[in-house]
Amino acid sequence: MATVVFDSIFKSFGSTKVLHGISLDIANGEFMVLVGPSGCGKSTLLRMLAGLEDIGGGTIAIDGRVVNDLDSKDRDIAMVFQSYALYPHMTVGENMGFSLRLRNDERKRIEDRVAHAARILNLEPYLKRYPRELSGGQRQRVAMGRAIVRDPKVFLFDEPLSNLDAKLRVAMRAEIKALHQRLKTTTVYVTHDQVEAMTMADRIAVMNDGRIEQLGRPLELYDRPANLFVAQFIGSPAMNVFDGTYRNGAVEALGARWPCSAKAHEGQPVKYGIRPVHFDFGSGVEAEVVVVEPMGAETELVVKIGGQSLTVATHGRSPAAPGDRISLAPNAKHAHLFDAASGARL
Amino acid sequence: MTNRKLLSEAKLWLVAIPVLLWTLIPIYHIFLFSISTKDSAFSGRLWPDHPTLHNFVTVFKQEHFYLHHFWNQIWNSLWIAVAAGAITLAIATCAAFSISRLKAKGGRTVMNAALFTYFIPAAFLAVPMYKAMGTYGLLNNRWSLVLAMVTLAAPYAIWVLKQASDKLPWELDEAARIDGATPLQLFRLVYLPLMVPSLVAIFTYALLLTWNEYLYAFLLLSHENTIPLAVGLGHFLASDDSPWEILMATALIYGLPPAAIYYAFRRYMVGGLTAGAVKS
Amino acid sequence: MTTWQVWGALLLAPYVLVFFVFVLYPVSYGLWLARNPESYRTLFEDPIFFTTVVNTIFFLLVAVNLKFVLALYLSGFFVHDRRWIRWLSVIFILPWAMPAIPTIFSIRFMFNPEWGVVNQTIFRLTGLDGPNWLTNPDLAMAMAMGVHIWKALPFWTLILMAGRLAIPKELYEAASVDGATAWQKFKYVTWPSLRTLYITSTLLSLIWTLGDFNSVYLLTGGQPADKTHVLATLGIRYIRLDQLDHAMATIVVALPFVLPLVYFMMRRLSGDEQKTSQ
Repeated sequence: MATVVFDSIFKSFGSTKVLHGISLDIANGEFMVLVGPSGCGKSTLLRMLAGLEDIGGGTIAIDGRVVNDLDSKDRDIAMVFQSYALYPHMTVGENMGFSLRLRNDERKRIEDRVAHAARILNLEPYLKRYPRELSGGQRQRVAMGRAIVRDPKVFLFDEPLSNLDAKLRVAMRAEIKALHQRLKTTTVYVTHDQVEAMTMADRIAVMNDGRIEQLGRPLELYDRPANLFVAQFIGSPAMNVFDGTYRNGAVEALGARWPCSAKAHEGQPVKYGIRPVHFDFGSGVEAEVVVVEPMGAETELVVKIGGQSLTVATHGRSPAAPGDRISLAPNAKHAHLFDAASGARL
Repeated sequence: MTNRKLLSEAKLWLVAIPVLLWTLIPIYHIFLFSISTKDSAFSGRLWPDHPTLHNFVTVFKQEHFYLHHFWNQIWNSLWIAVAAGAITLAIATCAAFSISRLKAKGGRTVMNAALFTYFIPAAFLAVPMYKAMGTYGLLNNRWSLVLAMVTLAAPYAIWVLKQASDKLPWELDEAARIDGATPLQLFRLVYLPLMVPSLVAIFTYALLLTWNEYLYAFLLLSHENTIPLAVGLGHFLASDDSPWEILMATALIYGLPPAAIYYAFRRYMVGGLTAGAVKS
Repeated sequence: MTTWQVWGALLLAPYVLVFFVFVLYPVSYGLWLARNPESYRTLFEDPIFFTTVVNTIFFLLVAVNLKFVLALYLSGFFVHDRRWIRWLSVIFILPWAMPAIPTIFSIRFMFNPEWGVVNQTIFRLTGLDGPNWLTNPDLAMAMAMGVHIWKALPFWTLILMAGRLAIPKELYEAASVDGATAWQKFKYVTWPSLRTLYITSTLLSLIWTLGDFNSVYLLTGGQPADKTHVLATLGIRYIRLDQLDHAMATIVVALPFVLPLVYFMMRRLSGDEQKTSQ
């Protein structure tokens, strides 16, 4: 159990700057997710915390102690890799107990700890097997077991679910979450998948281009994205965004007036954002249905308004067919306005 | 259709038969001599009238002038080959681990130096090496041949082992570091177990290279107590009326173990050795 | 330095030591010994040296190219997917798997002009004496090339075979569908894929063939009258005559030819390395 503090972290590879002064406080027992597109610097940040990457500038502290100059093994952390990184020549049990063996723990203690972790992860029948004899999900579990056995101050996850198929990913997501609720160990979790971030995190740091765009609870990010990047990154299907001009308490765009609750200067060019689920059917903006994607519980429509494609999601089934003309009422309370130049929320 | 098939099959045999003869005649010739009596050896027949193992008995009992030190020489060959194989393996494994996994400073330069040594024709390096061994006072000491063969075998060994190491996932090292492994623990507990097939191939390579070596052996060792069997065999050429049938029996004893080892480890050898060479 | 860097240096040290003691120092010292222009003058005046250079050039040009044309052809034969061809390929490796001495001595005896099985057979069949295989310098050089090819052919065939097996089968199937003849398949599919490997292998073989001591020494010993030496055996001959400066000079003379090839090969392997590490 520990806090993790990043203080103005810089990093460059050659002449390319990958992190521009990241500061981030992670609370004791918190599940922090770093999310962002590939190349945003999230993995580098995690690897610096793990001691696998030199820290270019700034300090990293675990439990109040600066770890910049500590070797990985002295930082009391455990890490789960995307490729699992299980030792192929060791059994599941040996893999899980390896860190304790390196510490010269007693045999009996190692066995107990491994058995304990195996019980938590339902790995008991597999302890004598080799990684090559396991399925992807089981390997993932062993990788987690290896982390649990050590009872570290901080768990690090580097895209741990990326190599699993979609169904397994959902199951493992829930398992990791449950594990965290049981162990309450501070966790830093890196992913490029915003759904993973939303479902698992206590707090999310959305990263882009070596900076944190926004830090907050999942629904905060969803409800009040600080800027265009976060708005478009978080939420699925993605938010509709288009250019417009603020006039008389609404936005003129795509040949229609779009209601909003935020305020801007009269005549100010803005970006208008609205999520696909925040439309009602009824009087409002005229649209032409282009594609209908029924998914059972909900239906997504791709519609054209003033030459622009927008996505609309409705609960249940939709009677609409391609070519139909419908009328959409954007929900003003859920509309977002962003400054056209800076992309910042208004 | 079957006619065409027959024709293409016949074409294959037309290649196969000359290849088989070309390959086997010199080897069969050794075998033939080794089981012939002196009289029938020179009769030019394809199979002796009275095949005999007498030549081998002569060799094993060291009953010929050229063979007085046979057992001593075969022991030297074995000792030198095993020593060179083991030392090459140790040095090359450490170097490959250092260059590939620890990313040691100057690793690339060392790799280039090794490759340079690998490409220099061995017969050319023999001249300065001979002089240097003299300076070091190692001439006629079995260690001179061991060290010379380590010098010749290590570059290729490092190259092959580095290629194999580079294929190991990098995350394994990182996982081990986070698990708390020191560099030596990483080497011993993770790296070595995973490299076993390549290590077997490299040990075999260095062993065979040394056992088979003639030039360095006869340059560096000349005292009859230190020479390996290869040099002992060369001594048969000292006179014109050499006992060929006994020479061939000895040659067979000398030549078969490496061939057998090669075939036993062929799976490792061919994979490891061509991988290094073919990469294109 | 971190402990990791310290261990990196420590584990590298044994080979560095070997390189300094048994390569760098001997070679530097050898070059220093060969600095005297006088040794080159006497070397060039030695008629054996001139013959040797001519022999070496012939040996390289003929043996290497012949070997590779054969290897290219045979690699095409051995990639046929038949059980008996796989067995044949196992036998075919023997010359390479066996040490040089037994087999080269065997060939030497086979071709002994008086007692060898070859000339005995010729005599029995025709009543004529066979050629002086090993005592006629030209024939003896040809025989040495034959021995070299006999010994080295399996290895290079194996290499080119691996190259051929790396060519996707679909290319041949597509060519067949397009109606290509066997020769056209070779010309448009096989050769373009194999060319780089073929050329690299040939250059590498050039360097190594230059260092082939056994094929000549064990077959002819440079005889008759030192007319069948190549540079590799001549250098050793000077050592045996205790003329170390001449031995080194012999090697230095070949360096302008060897070093560019070595440099090229090193560049090639280093270049490959960069490709794979990306």
